Amino acid sequence: MLKLAELDIRDAFFDEIYRIAAADKNVVFLTGDMDAFSLRKFKQDFPSRFINTGVAEQNMICVASGLAACGKKVFVYGINTFVSMRCFEQIKINICSMNLPVVIIGAGAGFSFGFDGPTHHGTQDVAVMRALPEMEIWNLADAGIAAACAKLAAKTTHPMYIRLDKGKFPDFYQPEENISAGFKLLKPLQKINLVSTGFMTQQAMQTAQALELQSVSVGVVDVSRLKPLNQDLIKQLIASSHKIFTLEEHCLTGGLGSILNDALASHKNSITLERLAIPDLQFLAYGSREWFHQSNGLDVQSITNRIQKLISR
Amino acid sequence: MQIKQLQQKAAWVRRQVLEAIAAKGKGHIGGTYSCTDVLVALYYAGILRIDLKNPRQPDRDRFILSKGHACLALYSIYLDQGIFTPEKFAEYGVDGGSLGGQLDIHIPGAEYNTGSLGHALGIGCGMALAAKMDEKKYKTYILMGDAECLEWSVWESVMFASEHGLNNLIGIVDRNRLSVTDVLDDEHVFRNFKEKLQMFGWNAQVINGHSFEEILSAFEAAKNSDKPFMLLANTIKGKGISFMENGIKWHHSVPTPAELDKARAELKKNEDALSC
Repeated sequence: MLKLAELDIRDAFFDEIYRIAAADKNVVFLTGDMDAFSLRKFKQDFPSRFINTGVAEQNMICVASGLAACGKKVFVYGINTFVSMRCFEQIKINICSMNLPVVIIGAGAGFSFGFDGPTHHGTQDVAVMRALPEMEIWNLADAGIAAACAKLAAKTTHPMYIRLDKGKFPDFYQPEENISAGFKLLKPLQKINLVSTGFMTQQAMQTAQALELQSVSVGVVDVSRLKPLNQDLIKQLIASSHKIFTLEEHCLTGGLGSILNDALASHKNSITLERLAIPDLQFLAYGSREWFHQSNGLDVQSITNRIQKLISR
Repeated sequence: MQIKQLQQKAAWVRRQVLEAIAAKGKGHIGGTYSCTDVLVALYYAGILRIDLKNPRQPDRDRFILSKGHACLALYSIYLDQGIFTPEKFAEYGVDGGSLGGQLDIHIPGAEYNTGSLGHALGIGCGMALAAKMDEKKYKTYILMGDAECLEWSVWESVMFASEHGLNNLIGIVDRNRLSVTDVLDDEHVFRNFKEKLQMFGWNAQVINGHSFEEILSAFEAAKNSDKPFMLLANTIKGKGISFMENGIKWHHSVPTPAELDKARAELKKNEDALSC
């Protein structure tokens, strides 16, 4: 059996969806012509419940809505830019205003399709989905939480958007872990805390290690559920923090930093919040994810340097 | 219900719609009147198998009025069929009231939230597919406007329905040939409209959307179709009131007192003729 850290985050998620579908004939999986290795088993074993709706996201969301309104448990899968934005109004009205338990899975977080240009850069999905009152939003940092989140999604009673990365990640969670809080303290809170989400949580942990080598001790929180944000996290952060750095692979507008800023604005506090995110730009540039991170100050070295500079002020 | 009774019912619905719009100063009279006869056929001629006393019964036929702005005709039907009390019907157009200018599922009898066009045919595809998966006999009916067919999402759903063999899906296009600001002639999307649908794997039939004989005959064919079925109902926007018919301003205009008197007189004359 593979160790979690050797398992692609998508396989961890979709293997769990397969198990759920094997036990529940009401589960239907729709894909907008998007593949994943671990989906092939689903397609092979439950062909009538695996529907490729083709490159037609608006119809895909409508079909998902109609199925869910008739009692089906529906998962919808596509590239995050297309499955969140091309069919935004269909999601807003047909899923959210009806409060149907449709689970939308967006692949291609941040710059994971970096070479394909701004059409494929998943850097605004959270901001867009966050505008929908009924939508619960998750961003997953490793294979363990991917499996746990699939189980949670199967039981949801309202709309859910899950930002699903690709590749392998260090273990922060176990598949059987209770993730209902929507956040996890990976290093105990200090006066300086790094609050990160998704892919950037591994960067946050590496940054914390680099800072420790220079005798700077920081707390690290992974925020997996971006909406609704757990208010207990806000209380804990206010109780301990002087400075908070948010780390996200999302544009500055509307992502984790913005969410935390909004939450802190409702409480009296003297915390300095620094938001490390992707600038509000559309990148007509092509390169690897690592290249984009380096170019935008989101690689571990740049983050560490920036934090050192900010805390020494 | 006999044809004459259906015509009487449609005349009664048109009167309720006129009075509600006049009383509240708001409503989409033109596009409501163009599809009134189709709606009356659906609800009174035994087409829709929906127990309106138990409108959420799982095996009911599904009906979505995609052009939700024609809701006043449905409210009138719900009033007549006892889903609404007269007090409930009077909530139309009242600030904070439960009956607005579009449909939502908090309104008893309404199947889905509507208001934005180009969505309902795809939702209907999902409902029809669920019926197939569960081996249920219910059918799904979607009533759209013709201007709505400019939304490309409609055509995504047209293709999906035929690909998945959804012969339990029945669409109706209220072809009244007018959008909010323009005439929709037989060019572009409407050129060879029926043939386009047939090429996409549907059965389609062009009917006079104000002839109950043609409407009922087409629904009979639709129910027994081996493919998804589209009724292309040629209609008249503002049908039933001479000065509103085919008048673009009657998309959502409210009659003046003088126009109201004239409209009432015309509807009365029609009702009297039908009662002979």
